[in-house]
Amino acid sequence: MIKIEGVRKVFNGVTVLDHIDLKVEKGEVVSILGSSGSGKSTLLRCINGLEKLDGGSISVDGFDVARPKELAEARKRSATVFQLFNLYPHMTAVQNLMLAPVEVLKVPKAKAEADARALLASVGLSERADAYPAQLSGGQRQRVGIARALAVNPSYLLLDEVTSALDPEMTAEVLRILARLADEGTTMVFVTHEVEFARTISSRVVFLEKGRLLVDLPTTEFFADDGGLANPRVRQFLSNMSKG
Amino acid sequence: MQYGSFTWYDLVLLGQGLSVSVLVFLATSAIGLVLGIAWATVRFYRIPVLMQLVTLVAETLKNSPVLVQLFLVFFGLPVLAQINVTPVQAAVITLSGNTAAFIYVIAVSAIESVGRDQIEAARVFGLSRWQTLRRVVSPQATAFAIGPLIGLAVNQLQVTSLVSVIGVVDLTKIGNILNLRTLEPFIVWTAVGVLYYLCAKLIARLGGKLEARLRVHSDWKGL
Ligand SMILES: Nc1ncnc2c1ncn2[C@@H]1O[C@H](COP(=O)(O)OP(=O)(O)O)[C@@H](O)[C@H]1O
Ligand SMILES: [Mg+2]
Repeated sequence: MIKIEGVRKVFNGVTVLDHIDLKVEKGEVVSILGSSGSGKSTLLRCINGLEKLDGGSISVDGFDVARPKELAEARKRSATVFQLFNLYPHMTAVQNLMLAPVEVLKVPKAKAEADARALLASVGLSERADAYPAQLSGGQRQRVGIARALAVNPSYLLLDEVTSALDPEMTAEVLRILARLADEGTTMVFVTHEVEFARTISSRVVFLEKGRLLVDLPTTEFFADDGGLANPRVRQFLSNMSKG
Repeated sequence: MQYGSFTWYDLVLLGQGLSVSVLVFLATSAIGLVLGIAWATVRFYRIPVLMQLVTLVAETLKNSPVLVQLFLVFFGLPVLAQINVTPVQAAVITLSGNTAAFIYVIAVSAIESVGRDQIEAARVFGLSRWQTLRRVVSPQATAFAIGPLIGLAVNQLQVTSLVSVIGVVDLTKIGNILNLRTLEPFIVWTAVGVLYYLCAKLIARLGGKLEARLRVHSDWKGL
């Protein structure tokens, strides 16, 4: 379980996350919605230890991310897919996948490579396994990003607007893969602007605004008129989204 | 002093001087490379105090004349610390430090050229700082730094000529000796200059090969 309790984050005197409480159990797909600047990325960056907390606590399977020793364990249990891919440009796709398994999990190279190639095949990239990121399209890069995250066999997948840098066709490629992962029971914390997609794959939807967690409901309730939609902020956000 | 025209033996002298210059160059480049990279690593790890110290030392070395540094080590060290240094020792100490300062600057900007986003990715996937430096940062930083490093090497070879001033018998010192003996400055200094030139060209040529080899491994730049 990812357990977020009373988390606060302040940047230069501005409170960006304000007393966030959130639990993600294994097997759940939790979508996080909210307008730009509401603190979604910061929340994910707190979970994976890229930001220090200014209050509260976060643990992943009981490992407290604020303690350096435990952070290493917490990081072994989650994997992040980034908005702008953040691939290692000097490594081929397959090498991108192998780095963490070999260096961190001490998987033998040959096994890591076989696993990496199988994973790339599963996201439709068997032919591009030896290409460098610069030689791939955006959609292909993000599929490498997803495969790289899966390569460490994470209990939790953290995804930060993974399609927002992609055109509609590439977005569809990537979403298809995520839908499959959700079907297979992968636990995901899914920050997104793809409201309709979030609705189809999530078990729960969370709404952030100005660093506060306003709504946290099971998906059907979130989209019900007497549920999440009863909140005017949520209604306004969703109508802005559907206007594009 | 005995005057006389050139003999074949003078070529041997020039060769000896050249080899001293090259040895001083190679030794100080190697030490400077290790030191400069170590200093840049201190900065990458953001080690407090040590990091500020390194910046101060590098700034001082980079912004003062090498000749002054050389005099300070050769004449100043014996007075200050009662240590006697030979001309060669003084030359190696000074030029190593000076080279290190410039390599530090190149290494720091090469490290900074590597995008934060990838470093964050590596950290999130659980790589230690050292693993991140070794596997993600340094391969890219090396490809970035190789050009400036070759330029620096060519320059540092010329700078070795300064050590003749404190009595190291390098190529320039031999030039001085032959000049006084033969009274043929034009011939002597042309020969010395040509030797430096050829060495510099050799360094640039070898460096270029190395760079091309790195470039082959740099398909990733999408160039
Ligand atoms: N490193 C930072 N330094 C200062 N302010 C930041 C930093 N990162 C994020 N912020 C601010 O925190 C707020 C939330 O940002 P972010 O988490 O990226 O929002 P979202 O992902 O929901 O768009 C924004 O106002 C942003 O400007
Ligand atoms: Mg964001």
